[in-house]
Amino acid sequence: MKEIKLFLGPQHPGMHGNASVHMYVEGDIINKSRLVPGMLHRGFEKSMENRTWMNNIGLIPRVCVVEPDINEMCFAQGAEILNEVLVPEKAHYIRMLILELARISIHLMSLGGIGGPTGLYTAMYWAQADRDLLLDIFEAITGHRVYHMYIVPGGVRKDLPEGIEKLIIKTLDGIESRLPEYEDLIFNNPTMQSRMVGEIMLPAEVVWDLGVTGIGMRSATGEAYDLRKVNPYARYDQVEFDVPVATYSDAYTRMKLKMLEVYQSIRIIRQVLDGMPEGKPNVKISRGSALKWTVKEGQIYSAVESSRGEFGYYMVSDGGTSPYRVAVRGASYPQGLLGIEKYMPGTRIDDAPLWFDTMGICSPEIDR
Amino acid sequence: MMNSTNRPGMNEMVNELKARFNVEEVTFVQDHEAHVDLHRKDLHEALTYMKQNGFRQLSAVTCIDWPNEKIFQLIFNIYDWSKGNRFIFRVKIDREEAMFTTITNIYGGAKYYEREVHEFFGVVFEGNDSALKQLFLEQWDDLPPLRKDFDSRAYSDRKYVKREYKTSFGEKGGEPFERN
Repeated sequence: MKEIKLFLGPQHPGMHGNASVHMYVEGDIINKSRLVPGMLHRGFEKSMENRTWMNNIGLIPRVCVVEPDINEMCFAQGAEILNEVLVPEKAHYIRMLILELARISIHLMSLGGIGGPTGLYTAMYWAQADRDLLLDIFEAITGHRVYHMYIVPGGVRKDLPEGIEKLIIKTLDGIESRLPEYEDLIFNNPTMQSRMVGEIMLPAEVVWDLGVTGIGMRSATGEAYDLRKVNPYARYDQVEFDVPVATYSDAYTRMKLKMLEVYQSIRIIRQVLDGMPEGKPNVKISRGSALKWTVKEGQIYSAVESSRGEFGYYMVSDGGTSPYRVAVRGASYPQGLLGIEKYMPGTRIDDAPLWFDTMGICSPEIDR
Repeated sequence: MMNSTNRPGMNEMVNELKARFNVEEVTFVQDHEAHVDLHRKDLHEALTYMKQNGFRQLSAVTCIDWPNEKIFQLIFNIYDWSKGNRFIFRVKIDREEAMFTTITNIYGGAKYYEREVHEFFGVVFEGNDSALKQLFLEQWDDLPPLRKDFDSRAYSDRKYVKREYKTSFGEKGGEPFERN
């Protein structure tokens, strides 16, 4: 059969964000593929060098749209360590609350997102509806629904509003009670099983070859390699949670782990709300205007566990009011570029969108 | 900044590196994170040694431009998941002759990181031919953009037509934004 060239994206319902995949296909088998990034036209890393440390808080959440808070956390954490700022205990707890809410929200998006490539649109509607309830919580706490700009150097921007615990608990109870229905809809569904079980494998050797982290790594190696456990940041060493793992990484297992992580995140949030310390949510980091705040000279790699794996900022300060250089380590960089080039060939065309969804690819963090 | 750490495995590793290679300076930024300045000739052997000793993951390769010192600093970020220790190797290369030998035969995942560093800084990685191809920037015809001497304002003035935006506010609620 003749080999033809096929473009997937950037305008395609199965494509994740502003990137496209060029595929050479024979019949419906992909022979060769590569990701074509560079369609975001934002230039985050250069823009950060031209803004002050505090101005950057408004820019960085855009590096990953669905889970913006990890960016704020990396940035704030790095600047605090360089400047030896001690963050109040309450701020650590609020940060964990925000990060876990964001994790649930992106996992729900991903669970629903699988409806696109497989035609199971019910999952998409359900998950988006549940995610919207979480955005209501974000709006109540931070004033914004998508980009929160809430975690700032020195703590969090403002205290939690009064009575928010009730709303959070009510929403999470609701989501938790509906998760078994998701399980029936997606995981116990024979049509979905035939698309996902034993398909799009990710063996452990490939994980180490590419440098895949997060759920991809944990589902293949069977080890609890989660930065929240290995190098706890914020106060993750003070809450109890399990890290779901597996040793057979197909599309089904990876999606299943995402769902199990939602249960764990809910568990963390309950403990955080119970143990929320008293006190101030932030410390004043500069005497004058925060825009003139400087960070001591130095270099640091500040990393957090995102829903897709290790996400980090390599930050360099020369002692000035703006960062000298910030390099973003996007969690989906290895599987997004090298993974698509090396390991996507051999799968079918209709598996390609499923490949993005289950590998957890977020194109803005590749294309900074 | 700390001069030592109590974390298991970190000090031993640093001593081992000092004994084997030409280590210029070691800084502990966090208790699990050490920055090691190495001589450029030793980097490949050091990375091979680290990979054999548990550091199986390459987290990133990146670069920093220091035009006043006339150097590029290459950053190799490796991580040991079983112990939770991170080492960051830094080497200096000449800014005028920005060449380095690829590390893709040690960490295969470096292929695209090197390509990105080439595109954004102009560092050529010998042995990684695909790194010379364009990745993010389409038909780029200027200095590599993350170099400090690249002026983004001048670039956009040269590249794009300058447009003036006029806003006129009418009597009743105003007219829509008018574009020339």
